Amino acid sequence: MLGAAIKKDLLLLVRDRGAIMSLFLLPIVFIAVFGSIFGGDGEREPLRLAVWRAPGDARGAAIADALDGTGMFAVRRAPTADRARDDVAAGAVVAALIVPADLDPRAGRPAELVIDPAASPQVKGPVEGAAQAIVARAALGPPPGGDVAAVVARAPPGVRDPLPDVSGFQVAVPGNAVLFGFFIALSCALSFTEERRSGTWRRLLAAPVARWRLLVAKLVPYLIVGLVQFALLFGIGIAAFGLQVAGSPLALVALVVATVTCATSLGLAMASLGGSEKQLGGIGSICLLVMGLVGGAMVPRAVMPETMQLVGLAVPHGWALDGFFDVLVRPGTGLADVWPSVVALLGFALAFVGFGALRSRRLLAG
Amino acid sequence: MTALLELRGLGKDYGARAAVAALDLDVAEGEIFGLLGPNGAGKTTTISMIAGVVAPSRGHARVAGHDVVTAAFAARAATGVVPQDLAIYDELTPRENLDFFGALYGLSGATLRERQAWALGVAGLADRADEPTKTFSGGMKRRLNLAAGLLHRPRLLVLDEPTVGVDPQSRKHIFDTIRALRADGMTVLYTSHYMEEVQALCDRVAIMDGGRIVAHGTIPELLAGRAGAAALVVEIELAGVVGDDAIGAALAAAAAHGEAARDGRTLRITPVASVGAVIAAVEGAGVAIAALRTHAADLEAVFLAHTGHSLRDG
Ligand SMILES: Nc1ncnc2c1ncn2[C@@H]1O[C@H](COP(=O)(O)OP(=O)(O)O)[C@@H](O)[C@H]1O
Ligand SMILES: [Mg+2]
Repeated sequence: MLGAAIKKDLLLLVRDRGAIMSLFLLPIVFIAVFGSIFGGDGEREPLRLAVWRAPGDARGAAIADALDGTGMFAVRRAPTADRARDDVAAGAVVAALIVPADLDPRAGRPAELVIDPAASPQVKGPVEGAAQAIVARAALGPPPGGDVAAVVARAPPGVRDPLPDVSGFQVAVPGNAVLFGFFIALSCALSFTEERRSGTWRRLLAAPVARWRLLVAKLVPYLIVGLVQFALLFGIGIAAFGLQVAGSPLALVALVVATVTCATSLGLAMASLGGSEKQLGGIGSICLLVMGLVGGAMVPRAVMPETMQLVGLAVPHGWALDGFFDVLVRPGTGLADVWPSVVALLGFALAFVGFGALRSRRLLAG
Repeated sequence: MTALLELRGLGKDYGARAAVAALDLDVAEGEIFGLLGPNGAGKTTTISMIAGVVAPSRGHARVAGHDVVTAAFAARAATGVVPQDLAIYDELTPRENLDFFGALYGLSGATLRERQAWALGVAGLADRADEPTKTFSGGMKRRLNLAAGLLHRPRLLVLDEPTVGVDPQSRKHIFDTIRALRADGMTVLYTSHYMEEVQALCDRVAIMDGGRIVAHGTIPELLAGRAGAAALVVEIELAGVVGDDAIGAALAAAAAHGEAARDGRTLRITPVASVGAVIAAVEGAGVAIAALRTHAADLEAVFLAHTGHSLRDG
């Protein structure tokens, strides 16, 4: 019975173009777009910078060379100081550094950094920091002690060092896989509603088959589709977008299985709420989007304010993404490191199944 | 006769309302039994309890001796259900539909294929078995709906309004199928709110209204029915602008001479004695008669006589 039921639901799903789009095609598009937008450090385009210095000013030339030498900037020389300012205003460069021939910060004659005060911190931070350090060194001489590192960054105990080079896809692939992976809950709940509306559910109930087996037969196909979905998205991530799995593949598999189990159980809970296909489709997809947003599937929780970071752990998405981040980004991450995520996801799954069981009368009503 | 289906005090409440009060009924092996009643009479609820889809609030139902609650699997295995809705998967072909429904009854391999071929043949869909069901006409879908309930060759076949929305040709096909299945020994419980269908098809009929069986028996028994009643119905259409009071008075006058019921401006009377006495009584009540019809009594008249309202208005 189970085999035939799986085959039936898979056939129905494969013939449902909308479901295929939202479960498989859309996440691939989102991964491609988001992964490219949030390019990692290694792939980031150098920031365009204009520098003006007086002709023949050797100190100014050295400053320009030093900026160029960081590799963070594409430095071009401006013919006049005003032209440099205009280029920033026009957006041709992100900032301009104007080095007066008589540069002497101590005497109140600093260099001028022209930059839009509303520029993003990702642009302002490096530009201001680099300009400050390089101009100070040129004008005031090397700091005492040379370039000895006074501060060294280290991971706290229990946290593994990340990959040296984290691309945007390390975040976009799991983010969208989790976001769209949980939409399997909606597909699952909708198929319950559809069976109830069309009357096929009454036929199932009239068959000499235990109720719990009918429910299992309705869930397993979506478990399978969810696993295929994750395999496909991670596979495409690795093959096409250079996704790296820094930690153990076993931990990754455990997280995927726990996430898909959780999503399918959520489908059962959603189905037990009843309502029409239209209501479920509308309210359900909004809920899943909000859960994804809060859980950090679109914007990583790490960049959210502290309260929002905590709120993210109220939805399974937050736990899943914590686990995926560690496995994908921190070498050496194993099953022992991701167990909190796995346990939390299975806990959510249990709660969803329990909710469905409490409402089993609705679930099993013809 | 041995009863294949026995209902004893079977009832179902939804909230405080009894959708089905307490039915007592025996359906003999090999007969086509009709459950006739208007929309909302409780036919689907009754069938759902027999099929094991809805739990009874009281009483018992037994199929082939198996209680639908305490021996649920045996009872369900002996029952085939053709629901009122088109309970088939539109996106699947008939063959794919039957693959799944057969598996629900434990059919597989050669047995499934043999039953599938048989059921497709019975439904007249053998040459369309691999086309998407969504392209089918309403009648073809109805026939597939029927085939899906037959696959496991149930001893009791329960059909819930199986002809709703079908063309006359498909209706005839469904009727022929039901008769052929009975000839093969299947017992059929057929529900409908079309009295013509029940009259044409069924050996025995139970008339349901408001969750109760108001009359049952063979069709001749029901038509001959109440002692002294003529196998004749008089329909009197009242003329002019008559108030409710006047119609009520005419109805009361007619009721002295037989079973009388009102349907708008029309009185329908099954006279005990003479038609003339009825007409005289109505005219005596001070109303004018616009039209007068008589016809042989049918189940509609029986329904009217028992419930005081028409089968069609529900
Ligand atoms: N699931 C339900 N919940 C509440 N009331 C119901 C339900 N199913 C049927 N009813 C009510 O029970 C009565 C009988 O309905 P039903 O058995 O469908 O009648 P029929 O099939 O003869 O048209 C109706 O009044 C209907 O509104
Ligand atoms: Mg009904």
